[in-house]
Amino acid sequence: MAEGHELIKAQLFFRKELMERVQWFIRLRWTAAAAGLVAVWIAYILGFPIAVTPVTALLLFCALYNTGFSFLLRTLQSSGTSDVRHYVVFAHAQFALDFLALFGIIFFTGGLFSPVLIFIFFHIMLTGILLEPLSCYIYSAVVLLAAGLMIFLQVTRVLPPGPPLLEHPFLHAQIRFADMAAAYGIFAAAVVVTAYLITTLKISLRTKGRELLSVSRQLDLSNAKLMALYGMVKEMHMCSDLQALADSAARNAAIIMGVKACSIKLLDEQRRNLRFVSTYGLSEDYVSKGPIDIEKSLVNLRVVRGDKISIGRVDETYAFQYPEDIVKENISSLICLPLRAEKMITGVFCIYSGEADFFTQQDVDFFSLMADLTALGIENIKTQENKTWFLRKAAHQLRSPLNATHSMLDTLLRQYQGPLNSSQKGVLERCMTRISLLAEMVGDLLKIGIKRADIRRPDSTVVDVQKKLKEVAGLYQPRAYEKNIGFNLQIDDAVPGVKADPQLFDNLFSNLISNAVKYTNPGGRVDIALGVENESHILFEVSDTGIGIPEQDLTNIFTEFYRSENARAYTEKGTGLGLVIVKEVMDALGGTVTVESPAGKGARFFCRFPAAQ
Amino acid sequence: MKTQPDILVIDDDKDLVETIRVVLESQGYEVRRAYNGKEGRLQIEKKIPDLIILDVMMSTDTEGFDLAYKLKQSKDYKTIPILMLTSFPSSGMVEKGPEKFQHIMGEEWPVTEFLEKPVNPDDLIAVIEEVLAEKKE
Repeated sequence: MAEGHELIKAQLFFRKELMERVQWFIRLRWTAAAAGLVAVWIAYILGFPIAVTPVTALLLFCALYNTGFSFLLRTLQSSGTSDVRHYVVFAHAQFALDFLALFGIIFFTGGLFSPVLIFIFFHIMLTGILLEPLSCYIYSAVVLLAAGLMIFLQVTRVLPPGPPLLEHPFLHAQIRFADMAAAYGIFAAAVVVTAYLITTLKISLRTKGRELLSVSRQLDLSNAKLMALYGMVKEMHMCSDLQALADSAARNAAIIMGVKACSIKLLDEQRRNLRFVSTYGLSEDYVSKGPIDIEKSLVNLRVVRGDKISIGRVDETYAFQYPEDIVKENISSLICLPLRAEKMITGVFCIYSGEADFFTQQDVDFFSLMADLTALGIENIKTQENKTWFLRKAAHQLRSPLNATHSMLDTLLRQYQGPLNSSQKGVLERCMTRISLLAEMVGDLLKIGIKRADIRRPDSTVVDVQKKLKEVAGLYQPRAYEKNIGFNLQIDDAVPGVKADPQLFDNLFSNLISNAVKYTNPGGRVDIALGVENESHILFEVSDTGIGIPEQDLTNIFTEFYRSENARAYTEKGTGLGLVIVKEVMDALGGTVTVESPAGKGARFFCRFPAAQ
Repeated sequence: MKTQPDILVIDDDKDLVETIRVVLESQGYEVRRAYNGKEGRLQIEKKIPDLIILDVMMSTDTEGFDLAYKLKQSKDYKTIPILMLTSFPSSGMVEKGPEKFQHIMGEEWPVTEFLEKPVNPDDLIAVIEEVLAEKKE
């Protein structure tokens, strides 16, 4: 695949080169023909003995076929042919006609002693630049033969010597064959040397060009692969569970490595069987065979022990548990790598190709990178899942005794177990308060912990924020009225739904509203507003006329367990975690929380968060 | 003599079961106790209770639900009202519904009423009276 690609690219490159030069060549010929005509007529006017009619005719002939070429080139280009041979033929036709015209002009301007003879060298150079080296030498040989023949015919007077352009003593003297042979020899050497120099230079340039092309191709490929790898890592980072991550890794690996299929298998607890976690491009039959016993599959066994395996021809190998199925899946070559988290191998990542000997060592290296990243991603997800599981379990374990104690105290306090005297009742009430606070604190701590462990979980539900606020505010309204506090709720109908965990809004609204009600004295008021701040952001605002927050405490209130002095003096009920939760919620929503508390004027909290989550 | 309503309390927290027993007996209810799903099932088979108070999380996170769904699928037991006690609503169990049961009843809960722990005894009595009154109708 790679070589074919390079060949096509090289052909495209050289076709482009040839096309451009052919065009340039046509432009050059217009200039040459025009310059030739002007020179001939100046020479004629100045009285030089020149065969003006045949030379002019030859130059016009040159212009004529150039018009033809120009037209032909346009046709060739518009046909969109990618066949480089068309252009090669085209170039040959030009050279053949050019040599013909040039020889005519040389013949009519003095043969071997024609001053135009020197233009032969330019033509040799051009063939060298434009065509293959062999063509250049063939043209050189044809030129030499033609020149030799012309001289021979002139010397032997078979042909009349052309009218000389310049007066030359040789033409009047008795021409000796040896002199002519010497002159011809020097001319021939010059032609051969020119051809040699140009083709050598050309070959070296072309080799460099090819090298450059290949390097640039490799760079392109590496760049594309790296970009794809980056995309894969980004996608994996967004995955919230193992399945999604494995599916993403398998799909991306198949696409990036350009293979038909791939699979991710993980070891079970006993490290005996490999279970398919995700596959791409493999048939149901293949996957549904169930776990692979590593003892029965030499390939998998070796990978699990840490080997990187690349098999070029699967049909020559017998190291599989289900060899016939591999043939059925049309797998010809494969790479299997360990998924390694730290020192521990947790699974096997394989890619499969339908072509034999498809993979290179570079493919193995690059795929290793991909496997390592996938293993890291899998470990990361497992850690997250363990943490969340632990916290949920801890939540239940901690809350059960608290709830039971709370209920038991409650039955005592409500005198289901017989009457109490007032001092007993007082003690039990204090117990109740402390237990409630402890339960609340445990609840808050777990909220923070679970939120932190869960932070990457993408949310699929759209929360009706307006409805949520109404619900939560409804819970605190009775308490506000009990305390004779004005309770004002304003909700803008334009506030859109937000894609997030609904629990976040429960926590946000309840913490800020309950604080406002709690720290406001009877006769005061609490104002709650939910609105659209601008096109992209929602603003939730809670202000009260309560005890406020001393200026020096403003920076600390979002710190765990911190309670300002006046708050502690006001009530001992408080965990010092409510605002931490608010801050965490805003972080999770990608928003900010700010607070204002002008002395003696209560507190105002502003929460701004993006509408489109 | 008119027999008192018979209530079965199923929870693995013995203290809580005792507490509920004290409260309910003070109101004149017959109370039977079970400390896991299996025992609960045996009690139900022995005699159909008028109402069941059932904890969600016992030895497994969904043991209570397992039992509740089984009862709802049974011809004899599906009319028994169930009060479900939940201890940690933010675990998402109540909001999202236990996915493993979706195929049985879809979005519908096998439960008459949810009560969040710690349960206020006065509320518990009120809910029980309400549910039993509805059942009579």
